[in-house]
Amino acid sequence: MARGGMRGRGGMNRGIGRPPYKVKMFLPRHPFDLALCESSFPRVKPAPDETAFTQALLKRNADLSPTPAEQTAILNLVTKIQTVLDNLVVAPGNFDACQLDEVRQVGSFKKGTMVTGHNVADIVVILKTLPTREAVEALGNKVKEDLKNLMKNEIVAKGEQLTHSTNERGIEISNSYACVRVMVTTLHHNIRKLDPEIHLDQKIMLSHLAAIRHSRWFEENAHHSSIKVLIRLLRDVRSRFDGFDPLTPWMLDLLAHFAIMHNPSRQALPLNVAFRRVFQLLSAGLFLPGSAGITDPCEGVSLRIHTAMTLEQQDVCCLTAQTLLRVLAHGGYKHILGLEGNSSIAKEMSVWDGVVVSPLDKAYENPPEKKDGDEEDEDMEGGGRREHGNAGDISRFFTSSTLS
Amino acid sequence: MAASVAVTSQNRAGNSLRCQLCDVTCTGNDAYAAHIRGAKHQKVVLLHTKLGKPIPPQEPEVIGGARKSVSSTPKINFVQSGGLGIPAGNGDTSKEEEEETPEPDIQPVGQDYIEEIKSDDGKVISFNCKLCECRFNDPNAKEMHMKGRRHRLQYKKKVNPDLVVDVKPSLRQRKIQEEKMRRAALREEFWARRHYNMPEDEEGMYWEDRRRYEEEYMEMVRRGNMGPYPRGRPFPGGAPPYFQGGMPRRTESSDDRHVMARHSEIYPKEEELQSIQRIVSHTERALKNVSDQLAEAKPKEGQAAAAGQTTTKSDSTTTSKSDIEKTLEQQKEDGRDNQLFSFQQDRDANRILKGVMRVGHLAKGLLLRGDTNVELVVLCADKPTLTLLKKVVELLPAALKQVASENTYTVTINAAEAGLIVAGEGLTVLVQFTSPVMREQEAASGGLDRDVLSRGKCLQALAALRHTKWFQARALGLHSCVVIIRILRDLCQRVPTWSPLSSWAMELLAEKVISSVPGQVQLSPGDALRRVMEAVASGLLLPGGPGLGDPCEKDSPDAAVALTPQQREDLTCSAQYALRLIAYRQIYKVLGMDPLPAPQKVFRRDRSARKRRRSGGEQEGSEIN
Repeated sequence: MARGGMRGRGGMNRGIGRPPYKVKMFLPRHPFDLALCESSFPRVKPAPDETAFTQALLKRNADLSPTPAEQTAILNLVTKIQTVLDNLVVAPGNFDACQLDEVRQVGSFKKGTMVTGHNVADIVVILKTLPTREAVEALGNKVKEDLKNLMKNEIVAKGEQLTHSTNERGIEISNSYACVRVMVTTLHHNIRKLDPEIHLDQKIMLSHLAAIRHSRWFEENAHHSSIKVLIRLLRDVRSRFDGFDPLTPWMLDLLAHFAIMHNPSRQALPLNVAFRRVFQLLSAGLFLPGSAGITDPCEGVSLRIHTAMTLEQQDVCCLTAQTLLRVLAHGGYKHILGLEGNSSIAKEMSVWDGVVVSPLDKAYENPPEKKDGDEEDEDMEGGGRREHGNAGDISRFFTSSTLS
Repeated sequence: MAASVAVTSQNRAGNSLRCQLCDVTCTGNDAYAAHIRGAKHQKVVLLHTKLGKPIPPQEPEVIGGARKSVSSTPKINFVQSGGLGIPAGNGDTSKEEEEETPEPDIQPVGQDYIEEIKSDDGKVISFNCKLCECRFNDPNAKEMHMKGRRHRLQYKKKVNPDLVVDVKPSLRQRKIQEEKMRRAALREEFWARRHYNMPEDEEGMYWEDRRRYEEEYMEMVRRGNMGPYPRGRPFPGGAPPYFQGGMPRRTESSDDRHVMARHSEIYPKEEELQSIQRIVSHTERALKNVSDQLAEAKPKEGQAAAAGQTTTKSDSTTTSKSDIEKTLEQQKEDGRDNQLFSFQQDRDANRILKGVMRVGHLAKGLLLRGDTNVELVVLCADKPTLTLLKKVVELLPAALKQVASENTYTVTINAAEAGLIVAGEGLTVLVQFTSPVMREQEAASGGLDRDVLSRGKCLQALAALRHTKWFQARALGLHSCVVIIRILRDLCQRVPTWSPLSSWAMELLAEKVISSVPGQVQLSPGDALRRVMEAVASGLLLPGGPGLGDPCEKDSPDAAVALTPQQREDLTCSAQYALRLIAYRQIYKVLGMDPLPAPQKVFRRDRSARKRRRSGGEQEGSEIN
């Protein structure tokens, strides 16, 4: 981890000239990963039959995929707005509240990882000018006007009436079937000039720029359809188990890509293997302090994506995955996929085929409660929470991709 | 021509010769000879004669003697053999070649690259080395060149990259080299001694065990020490130093400190080790005596029987060999794992008790503080029978008395374990009887024989032998592995959740997990423990996992097959919690110890300051979804 490494990006006003000899060498280690050392652990007993599991995964994916109606609705809306914005880039005419540099589709719509019931597409507009609130307001009005012009020959059904709104990220245009978020940002070299008083928030602007990088990376590296399916499944899992809440969509993208592609053969792993591997990785502490985790491929400095979570969130995320991994091993995949039961399995004791699966306690907080089958029973009273290191390497530049 | 010669070592490799009369330094004996013949030297001699000044002796023999007395480095040897006494001889030999005193056993290389240049009448007048682009007129010089370092380097570079060329040692390098040689010699001698296996060589056996502990301990001490150089051995006396090879020193993490602190808590005390050592070696020697008595009591049997037994003996080694992974085989050859305390001498191939071996924690060096039970295995020539066992039990007390009159040991039979128990000083040694013959299939069908000891137990004892060999080949050399196995053994003893994990499965698990680090990185003890926990936490032992292939059995079955699904679940659950405790700096809870105070470091304040500053930015990853 390049703690003392170069941080060349604009906006960094510290971390330069730190004396190297004072820096304690911190070498995060990649946790145990069975997929990477299968040669040491050759399978000595027959692999369990996973056809049903795979079928369930595929079925769940089919359930989660957007319906054709949804797809049509969002595609229509995105096309129209894209047209309007493209026109503004090419021929701004008398619109001078702001100058548009570029318009890009980002997020799950662009990536093809949308989940049904959440019909939201994202478009990022890069301004040449600074993103004042007024400019965003004016852009919103202009888009509204142009859209009205564009659609004046159409017969607008009842549910397709557009509603417009602006927020601190940009503009939202929606009808009752779909929603498009036009997210405003500015050129990279303008970022420093932003003044919180008059402009949109710097962090949000940066996150929108990051979103563009993310979708570009995704296009180049993660186009494999298994990855998209896995991302969709993980998003669904995340939405049902609140321990996974702190995982951002970008983390899920990277995690899915890692689980499928990061293996010695560099060939995509089968879906059932990769799905289990996600839980194995998280259980082995991929996103815990001291782990190398996954390095953000879209940041100049090497940044471990899980450091965007607080230490406590990392702990809860890990323990949720650990409990679910055990449920999965005892055949509880239907509950994890949401085909049966509910999300209580992550927090309550459950019995699978005679095996009692008990949930885990946080390690982060003060002495956890006594718990069966654990070794620390008598020692728990002893130590208070101690200092936690190495969560500090979060860059100010870290911007969790926050896109649908 | 008269001069005395001083061989100085200040320049080049120390082959300069000095003419004291003229105060001229010459490189090499030829240059010196040329000087002696030269006009300048003659002039000085003449001058000195005229002035009546003393001139060093003239006879060549005397010169040689004088030179010897002045010389200080061994390099002179070459100069002497170079025949300075006949200075007019080979003046045209190439100069550089002679400096490189070649080892006598170096084979000349690259003959094909040396071109002979012939004169018009077909006589060879000179040689041209195409590799080094140099010429010589003299065949001797050519020979020398081909053995020379420069030529060999060129040859290595241009022709055969596998050629070994000695690095021209600088003074420091040479010292290091010498040190290395010395160590290698000591090691050699030590193994030779072990291999020689004199029954009296109890000390050797003792040191074998000590070494194992010490290696680990040394490492711990070194790591604990901030000094850049390995310190002396912490134990008085000391076996020859082994494996002092440099491991990259990294700053020690808090986890490492905790693991090593716990390790030294559970590591047996010196006295404990000694008393265990004592009872074991007494038992071994007493068994040897019993074996002798049995051999004498049953003098010459038929030659056929003896022959039959020798073949079974060799069979057994081959079969067990095929089971253990092939990688082990190389190591087997050097006798390293040959810790059979053999009773056999050349003459009596028909002994009943062939030898005794240490197995289990004793042989692996995994004894923990408070351990009182150790195990030995006696190899028999034939199926071990109850009669034999009873006989040994009968003879052993007397033999023990004979070996160690001052100690009192009790010997009891334990037929259920196919062996006997020697107890004394609060320690017990379980001696199991087995024979390679028990592996054979007919031994299974022939189980009708009531007298033969339990086949299951005998096979277990054989497996214990294989496990010991595996351990010494795979786990001993692996960085941090033995420390972690001791720590895990302690964990298995302390925590009920972990107790179902058999010692053998645990050893396999630790070795596999630690050795499977991608890139062959050496793990520090803290990282190694964390990695083992990671492995179990990631569901390695859960039902549906790959299982732990047992390298010491046919078709590598799962070594942890005995675990029930609930035990697997509980183990995983416990490891998952332990992993997070380690990640959140509570490793002391996993180890069952008190937290160590943080080391006093100057830069500590600096670090925490940075953390505070940064924590502001941490939460701000904003969300839309």
